[in-house]
Amino acid sequence: MAAARGVIPYRPAAARGEDTAWLGMAIFLGSWAMMFASLFFAYGVLRLRQPGWPPAGTPPLPQVLPAVNTALLALNSLALQRALVAARRGEKSHVVAGLVQASLLGGAFVVLQVVLWTSLFKSGLALEDGSLAAVVYGLTGFHALHVLVGLVGLGLLLPAVLRGTLNAARNNRLRLWVMYWHFVAVVWLAMYLLIFVV
Amino acid sequence: MTAQEATFNRQTIEALQPIHSPPTTFWSKYMWSLDHKVIAKQYLWAGLLFLLVGGTLAMMIRWQWAFPGKPVPILGPTFLRSSGGVIGPALYMQLFTMHGLIMIFFAITPILIGAFGNFCIPLLIGARDMAFPWLNALSFWVFAFSQLLVIGSFFGDLGAAGAGWTTYPPLSTNIGTPGNGQTLMVAAVFFTGIASIMGGINYVTTVIRLRAPGMTYMRMPLMVWGQFLTAILNVLFVPVLGSAALLLLMDRVFGTQFFIAGAAAVKGGGDPILFQHLFWIFGHPEVYILILPAWGIVADLLAFFSRKPANWYKGTVHAMSAVTILSAVVYGHHMFQTGMNPLLGEGFTTLTLIISVPAEVLFLNWLRTIYKGSIRLTVPMLFALSMTFVFGLGGLTGLYLGANAPDIYLHDTMFVVGHFHFTMAAASFLASLAGIYFWYPKMFGRNMNQTLGKIHFWFSSIGITLVFGGQLLVGYAGQNRRLWNPFAYEVFKPLQPLNRWTSYCAFVLFAGQLLFVWNFIYSMSRGKKAEANPWAVGTLEWSIPSPPPVHNFDAIPVVVRGPHELSNPELERKLGRDWVGQAEVVASEEPGAVRTAARGAT
Repeated sequence: MAAARGVIPYRPAAARGEDTAWLGMAIFLGSWAMMFASLFFAYGVLRLRQPGWPPAGTPPLPQVLPAVNTALLALNSLALQRALVAARRGEKSHVVAGLVQASLLGGAFVVLQVVLWTSLFKSGLALEDGSLAAVVYGLTGFHALHVLVGLVGLGLLLPAVLRGTLNAARNNRLRLWVMYWHFVAVVWLAMYLLIFVV
Repeated sequence: MTAQEATFNRQTIEALQPIHSPPTTFWSKYMWSLDHKVIAKQYLWAGLLFLLVGGTLAMMIRWQWAFPGKPVPILGPTFLRSSGGVIGPALYMQLFTMHGLIMIFFAITPILIGAFGNFCIPLLIGARDMAFPWLNALSFWVFAFSQLLVIGSFFGDLGAAGAGWTTYPPLSTNIGTPGNGQTLMVAAVFFTGIASIMGGINYVTTVIRLRAPGMTYMRMPLMVWGQFLTAILNVLFVPVLGSAALLLLMDRVFGTQFFIAGAAAVKGGGDPILFQHLFWIFGHPEVYILILPAWGIVADLLAFFSRKPANWYKGTVHAMSAVTILSAVVYGHHMFQTGMNPLLGEGFTTLTLIISVPAEVLFLNWLRTIYKGSIRLTVPMLFALSMTFVFGLGGLTGLYLGANAPDIYLHDTMFVVGHFHFTMAAASFLASLAGIYFWYPKMFGRNMNQTLGKIHFWFSSIGITLVFGGQLLVGYAGQNRRLWNPFAYEVFKPLQPLNRWTSYCAFVLFAGQLLFVWNFIYSMSRGKKAEANPWAVGTLEWSIPSPPPVHNFDAIPVVVRGPHELSNPELERKLGRDWVGQAEVVASEEPGAVRTAARGAT
């Protein structure tokens, strides 16, 4: 709607409050992106300092598990986006279904990460084994904590949807958590590509 | 803005910030308070308490430099009983490490940003509270938790943290400083970083979203600009410090090897220099994080007490913004000695020296603001003036260190210590005091004793200049920093009298602060009751009672002019006073005239 000069489009106060919350979340995610950017910077420096990568004497990194995990988080983002659309339309059962799917996918991601760490550990890469071990365990471990936080968030949203306090009119909480999950997925994608692929 | 738009915005904003009933229980009033003014006071107390701790540690360091190896009087018998009051080398390391970290992260940051940011931002932009009050309270309690970790560090099994405030590996790894004192301190830095980020998100969002109608960016007091830019830097760069602390914690706790190299590492270990990169990518913006709020306070106070509009307001805003941006690309000047490519060093030198251009704009604006003003030498003004002086000294000595050729000679000397104390410690400290003396009536509803304040001012400003001036001098003569006993070296022996003199100055400076402690605490219950506007200035916080009600403004004000509308001859003729409120509409004042007047202020 093109606003004529001097006429401000009507925005109810609640919507303005939601915009404020959205802005806060965007600033937080931007800030947290700097945290992950620094971690990737650290990885880059460590890698460039080595004569070759991966460093000699380290076992090869698994390829299948992280690829599956990337798919899981992509599906998770998709499920959450669909839940958000459904919430805006007021389709409660679809919202619940989307949240449950997302929780299962996120949970499966964490389980597979644990499998990945243990298999790497068994193949002879201990935590103390130089920069490769530090980067793989440290960065993916820190990322997995974010997935856990996201799962807690979904756990808080579900009852709200069932009770009906999160509905077609008021669904900003869901919108912000979906943003958070997209962020976690994008960070994982970068991690997957930088650590396991190139 | 048309009147129609103003009315409309006003209704929306009133609806957006409804007045809640004031809290009644002890818990909601003083502990988990959502009121930005209470949170500001919590930060103020927490910061002042740790300022005292950090100051005491400084006194012990100064004692060591004056009388190395002699038992410390007064403090020694209480705190250093096991060593007979003598400061040994290991304890000495812990003293300067804890002094630096406490002063930067747990004293100056909470006072300048936590206390003044929280107190001033909503009041000065005409809001009822922060954008996220709950997050605000959480931010304080995370900060308080990090302070607990600092206290815990003092009781570490091998003593407190001892790897220097910069916490460089390998000294800061388990090989250099084993013991949980160092680990707790790194964790404390991580958690205070989290608190800073929460605060930063809140401040940025509040300034963007909750400015009162008519409070355009170019009508904000410079104090708010300082806090706004600081918050932006906090949000962007504290996470980088967070990542450094996180990786170091992993190395210390889980045994990873991000920063461990050489014989201790197998299978291609990590890189200690990496930590320096991460630390200084944060660390250089950090010095501006600490100075931008101070600039904001001083820029406003110089205008208020010269009874003149701030000179070239927009120039100051743009200069502060330019410094904010440049601060992100100069960190390499802390690492000239790390085997950096000389070409890269040249680049960092150039960028660093370019910062002096906006800094000069700012500085000349301050000088032109007081030039030919009707200067009122109140206590806040005195502190603001002395801040200008010490910041000038700090800035000039920065040129020596920013250029890589002189830096190679001065690196790791007391000159560096003197330089950053002039900027980060002296300038921030004096500006904090200026702010406390200025906003005290609004915060606590009572006035501080001005005579005591003036005596305190002379102790502080002369003391601080002599102490850090002494450091500059011995540093220029070559004395290295962080030496347990500098005079064990034949070459530094002639510097002992100067060091001793500097220490005496420091003791006097510290003793002078007790006046402030007395004044601050006594005035809280016994001081003269403050009026709404004791300084006769026009920013929004002075248009409401002292102390303000929980909801700040009965009606959200509509701002019609800039913050320093002082001594405007036309308004003076109409009102019979030399100031006018930012939201004060003067009868028969043409809307056009208001705009012109506001432009005159810029």
